[in-house]
Amino acid sequence: MALKRSFASYLRLVAVFARFSLTREMAFRGNFVMKVLLELVWLGILLVFYRTLFRGVDSIAGWDSASFLFFLGCYYTLEGVVETLFLENFVEFSDLVRTGNLDLHLLKPIDEQFLLSIRLIDWSTVPKLFIGSGMMGVAVFQMGHPVSGWTLALFAALFVAGVSMAYSFLLILSSTAIWMVRNQSLMELWWLFSTLMRYPRDIYDVAWAWPVRMVFTFVLPALLVVSVPAEIVGKAILDPWWICWMLVSAIISLSGSRRIFIGSIASYRSASS
Amino acid sequence: MIDPPIISAKELSRHYRVAEKSPGLMGSLRALWGGRNRVIVAVDNVSFSIQPGEIVGFLGPNGAGKTTTLKMLSGLIYPSSGTAEVLGYVPWERADPFRRQFALVMGQKNQLWWDLPASDSFELHREIYSLPKDRFRRVMGELVELFGVAKLLRQPVRELSLGERMKMELIACLLHEPRVLMLDEPTIGLDVVAQQTIQRCLREYNQSKKATILLTSHYMRDVEALCQRVLVITNGKLVHDGPLAGIVQRFGAYKQVRLQFAGEAIPPGLRLPDSATVMGSVVDLSVSRDMVSETISGILEQFPVTDLTVSDPPLEEVVARYFQESASGAGA
Amino acid sequence: MSSNIGSLAMDSSLSVRLVKSLTKYFNIFKVSLVERLAYRADFLLGTFLRLLPLVTTLLLWKAVYANKDEISGYTYRQVVAYLLLVHVSRMFSSMPGLASGIARDVRDGNLKRYLVQPLDLISYLLAYRMAHKVAYIITSIPLYSVIFFLCRDFFDAPPDPCWFCLYATALLMSFILGFAFEASLGMLGFWFLEISSFLYLVNTVNFFVSGHFLPLDLLDPWVAGILKVLPMQFMAYFPAALIMGKAGDWNDVVWGLGIEAAWCLGFLAMARGAYALGLRRYGGYGG
Repeated sequence: MALKRSFASYLRLVAVFARFSLTREMAFRGNFVMKVLLELVWLGILLVFYRTLFRGVDSIAGWDSASFLFFLGCYYTLEGVVETLFLENFVEFSDLVRTGNLDLHLLKPIDEQFLLSIRLIDWSTVPKLFIGSGMMGVAVFQMGHPVSGWTLALFAALFVAGVSMAYSFLLILSSTAIWMVRNQSLMELWWLFSTLMRYPRDIYDVAWAWPVRMVFTFVLPALLVVSVPAEIVGKAILDPWWICWMLVSAIISLSGSRRIFIGSIASYRSASS
Repeated sequence: MIDPPIISAKELSRHYRVAEKSPGLMGSLRALWGGRNRVIVAVDNVSFSIQPGEIVGFLGPNGAGKTTTLKMLSGLIYPSSGTAEVLGYVPWERADPFRRQFALVMGQKNQLWWDLPASDSFELHREIYSLPKDRFRRVMGELVELFGVAKLLRQPVRELSLGERMKMELIACLLHEPRVLMLDEPTIGLDVVAQQTIQRCLREYNQSKKATILLTSHYMRDVEALCQRVLVITNGKLVHDGPLAGIVQRFGAYKQVRLQFAGEAIPPGLRLPDSATVMGSVVDLSVSRDMVSETISGILEQFPVTDLTVSDPPLEEVVARYFQESASGAGA
Repeated sequence: MSSNIGSLAMDSSLSVRLVKSLTKYFNIFKVSLVERLAYRADFLLGTFLRLLPLVTTLLLWKAVYANKDEISGYTYRQVVAYLLLVHVSRMFSSMPGLASGIARDVRDGNLKRYLVQPLDLISYLLAYRMAHKVAYIITSIPLYSVIFFLCRDFFDAPPDPCWFCLYATALLMSFILGFAFEASLGMLGFWFLEISSFLYLVNTVNFFVSGHFLPLDLLDPWVAGILKVLPMQFMAYFPAALIMGKAGDWNDVVWGLGIEAAWCLGFLAMARGAYALGLRRYGGYGG
């Protein structure tokens, strides 16, 4: 009776969750509009900041106005993907642990990590995907040189790697909520992580910042998440070493975070009553 | 011919640690650097076995270890020692086929999507348990009829009453037709009518599917209505495993009477049995059931009583007394 | 403690009442402080992690100023100094969870607690927040001392020791303004069921509008002009600009403090008024 769940079945489940989340959002339309509005305000701040910076100077750390816009678009889209698919789930996960409602999810005959990662889809951040892609499009147009299909494919692969790294980071954080009594700052920690993605990694090219740069390139590679994919298109840099390291660290973080997640569930099961 | 048991527990124990924080500022500061831990024994060396098709009640005061035992049998938590087998599986290995034949309902926890109609949650359940469509439809039809909730299916769960929600919660857990059903306080907070409906439905489910049911409750009524056999647990220890009858007799045998007299102290001339406790002008008595009205009217006639309550003794006390009696009985 | 509070209602003489009232709020302060310190790792970790965005921001500005000495009157050193000082402002004026807490209390009916006991909601919250702030500031002092020591080269000598008094006044008022502002927002909970996303929106706008993000002077002049009229600037920009000597001379600053005080009173009055109106409404549907 060992039923191996098919990939299609997982996809169907994602679709069901997406539909449920949308129905739920629509039950509170005012709230939904507010959340979308919030995203637009953030976008506004980001763009005003961008404009203010380039009001004074022509380029920042080797990124001119157009390529910097591409970077921002890439950042905005990637953040949108993570927030749409995962962020709410992880915030909820810490809650489930605290209230003991995690139990009900552990009883289901399904992979816990899948169930807990994708249960809630946040539709209010979907506009970010479009706006972010739009920013990248405008930037490519401003840069004025065509992007080849290969570059685009590579960009897509690295973008997925970036999303995986951010996902793993969130998974590790919320898994540790089981050991820490009251982890109320998951959102804050995510914000910290996204702070490290927000600007090109070239700005860390300063003598006194090298420990920061090393730690967040090789230990917790947050600096790569947006920079490496964005460099490929925005600065036309194709450095095989960085591309390899990015892909490798994506794989390491995915498998490592899964291990930590499983460990935390085991620990939950031996620590609660 | 005796079937092999469908649930068996051997010497199950469960300990866990809690962090202690001493009160006050210094205590908090110390807790910043890691406080001390205390070990709590939730379940202590519990053994029993249950045959297919039985409905067994788990009885005991709050915090006695009922829920912890259920959680071990459902595979949610590991025991500190001991073994168990449910449906031929070791529950805490949580094999997929085990989880497909089994359900746990927790009265205080909610797994339905709050803002959606229950039927949507059922649909999700079908996806998660990979149930074939026609079987799902048939079972859902049966259950909806059994519980009488056809009209409520399209209503968001948050708009349902507590009793209706519990029925939906139960349906969700029964959709995959579990062979073993465990329920933790399924009727908590429900009114008597809803309690009875749920009892009736559980009985019918048990009979039609030959399912095994293990339920905890600290309401005597649930257990009385459903179970021929009860396990009584206090302080983590199993103190009784057998038919319900003996317990009910003892449970119903005495009433607690509390009398408040006018004035500072009890009136002179009032004769009390040795078991009575006196605090100022308040007296607590344990009176056998058939003597209650006689005793009270006797006192009311002669003495100035300002307040009077009659209640069943708390379950803790009944169980404790029962345990003492059966222990001394065994010694004699 | 609650029996302690309960007995207070008996006294009638004004001075006794005042003293007891102070003791009461001091007790609330003390208990809240204990609770606050009990957060363990989260607390220390959270404080430490606040550093990283700072580092990132510094690096970004360094990159911006790589080929330029001055933008809109600010040198690199001054931008950095501003961004550090603005953290100090926010340390006083930010009130995480205050408004949403009030709204939640209204919605869940916990408000009765304040109505039954002789406790004034706003004074209670003020005492609680003061405890919160004192605990936070005390635990942050070592960290901020290190940062400010490491970054000492970014700061110019203060114009005059007296300016520190003005600075302290501006900071204390920014605490009150932040409190009153959030409390007023929280009162919206009487009229709207769900305001958490609205609050989040306001906080986000505030983050920018108050000058937390960058010195207001760097923006397009007309934008900066508008933002300097709004009360939000007192929660971040004004105290920082004041001590940097960017908020004008002595007269300008005293004038600015006067305006800040007026905003404080205005928002306190608004919170009180909205609370009174809200309570009437609350009682209206039987609470």
